[in-house]
Amino acid sequence: MKQMEKVIEVKKLIKKYDELIAVSGISFEVNRGEIFGLLGENGAGKTTTLEMIEGLRKPSSGKIKVLGFDIQHDLKSIKEKIGVQLQSSAYYKFLKLGEILKLFSGFYNKSVNADELLRIVDLEAKKDQFVLNLSGGQRQRFSIIASLVNDPEIVFLDEPTTGLDPLARHRLWDVIAGIKSKGKTIVLTTHYMEEAEILCDRVAIMDRGKIVVLDETHKLISRAEHPFKINFILGADDEKFISFLSEKFKLKDHISRFPGKDAHFEIRIASQKELNEILTEIQKRAPESLTVGRATLEDLFIQLTGKKLSE
Amino acid sequence: MNTGTVALVNNSKTQIAENFASALNSSSNFKIKTVANDAAGRDLIKKNQAGAIIEIPNGFGDQIPSASKQITVVIDPANVQLGATAEGFVGQYLTQINFAAAHIAPTFSTNIEKTTDKPLNYFDFVLMGIIGIALMNSSIIGVATAMVNYREDQILKRITTTPLATWKFIVAEILSRLVINVVQIGLIISIGKYFFGAHIYGSVVLLVIISLVGAVLFQSIGFTIASLAKTTEAADSMSTAVTVPMMFLTGVFFPIDSLPKWLYAVVQFLPLAPLLHIIRTIGSGVGSVFDDPKNLILVFAWIVICISVSIWKFRLAEE
Repeated sequence: MKQMEKVIEVKKLIKKYDELIAVSGISFEVNRGEIFGLLGENGAGKTTTLEMIEGLRKPSSGKIKVLGFDIQHDLKSIKEKIGVQLQSSAYYKFLKLGEILKLFSGFYNKSVNADELLRIVDLEAKKDQFVLNLSGGQRQRFSIIASLVNDPEIVFLDEPTTGLDPLARHRLWDVIAGIKSKGKTIVLTTHYMEEAEILCDRVAIMDRGKIVVLDETHKLISRAEHPFKINFILGADDEKFISFLSEKFKLKDHISRFPGKDAHFEIRIASQKELNEILTEIQKRAPESLTVGRATLEDLFIQLTGKKLSE
Repeated sequence: MNTGTVALVNNSKTQIAENFASALNSSSNFKIKTVANDAAGRDLIKKNQAGAIIEIPNGFGDQIPSASKQITVVIDPANVQLGATAEGFVGQYLTQINFAAAHIAPTFSTNIEKTTDKPLNYFDFVLMGIIGIALMNSSIIGVATAMVNYREDQILKRITTTPLATWKFIVAEILSRLVINVVQIGLIISIGKYFFGAHIYGSVVLLVIISLVGAVLFQSIGFTIASLAKTTEAADSMSTAVTVPMMFLTGVFFPIDSLPKWLYAVVQFLPLAPLLHIIRTIGSGVGSVFDDPKNLILVFAWIVICISVSIWKFRLAEE
């Protein structure tokens, strides 16, 4: 296997606030050029971890190295080479987009032309507008390019798509993918499982300050106890048929009814053989809709933490 | 020193009354507006066109025993200074007439000397106070609310993600505000001097420099408040709690030695009081700011205290 260059090394990182342990002895590494995701519900410790790596918060103990620099001794060197987008970042209300980019690029030794950055996210026409005049999606896109003013090697994105509509979210995914294609390393936090599945090369799932699992995204999904899913809608509610399936294939805890519709069900299945047999039975009932899919990160998250992620 | 307009009601035709009216008209202490009767005078007070009425009764000055001998001064309680000036003028004039009528010369008299020959008036005193207030309000409230607002909006946190040193950001904030302060001081002095005829005898450059030292002092108080306040509303309230007592007590509108002794003992040490003393010394051109270094020491002591607290407590973002 090709040896990857490690750009971030985190060892036994702990952050305590009096009695509260926000981050509890986590260790991980991030490779150059990958998108690394930190997943977890609110309060899991994702943002605290990210902010300790960015040098915004002091760790209670543990070691962090970014691009070979120790966070305790070489923070200024690190800040020259990283770009940070904060959760709900705000900018001076009295400056225009072009002026904000120019101001922030002035803080670094290296800088990128403001027009070039605005072009990446189709905001060239808004160069002379104020942030307050942008839509939610445009603001998020702007906050991402504002983190690129110094042409950073690593970009940190803290919940970049939170609060956006699906269209704006997909548009932002394209922007993030575009940043990766320029060879930059991206570390992002999110609580959208779909986002992590689509964007991240590797994912660490956090719960109560700890990393419960870390691996390449597709490998993580294959760890699910029930890697297959059948989703179907019957013409009418049929309790007898559901009981029959449940008993025959021992599905008691793995068959669930969706709320809202009368006869909309999901079955989580452990093996290919079982999948084929159950499919045959369902098709006999001529369902109005039948979909077969793989388990998702959300399924794995529920399996590992016993919780369901929500916005 | 003109303290306002006095309405004059002269009901007498005697020479004494005419002489008195003429003395009133030539006084530089107030302007005289002659009216027909007491009601017309009171009407002027209602319209804020006069602050007192002097009424000379019918027959005042007649050489007959039954003639009226009393001049009435009507004072508007809202215009105490003008009232006191009018009352003093009338009292002094009548004393002179009384001495003349009795054919005696006063045994004791007063010799008044001024610390400077240059004409100075109450507006000159207040103008320096206005510079102090303007600097205090814009610096304390401006810095405290802006910094807490920036913190709430995560602008300060965003700054900390860059290599910019915190001290550079703060110095830049202070310098940009000082530029505005220079404009502010320039405008106040220009308007005072050219529109209201204020007298400034000292060095305007020195006045501006010392005012900027004051601005640094008030900005450091603003940073101290920003260190302690969690929300913009709290910063606003704390700033008001600091500025309002100073505005009324530290000598903006009246000299602080007129305060009760116990209050003066405290007020003389509040930041605005020594600053106003220094800028008035410069503005009046009487003496040097180093004649009484206590005020300069107090200003710099406050700067050191507030900057120390700010360095200790002020953070761009939570750690």
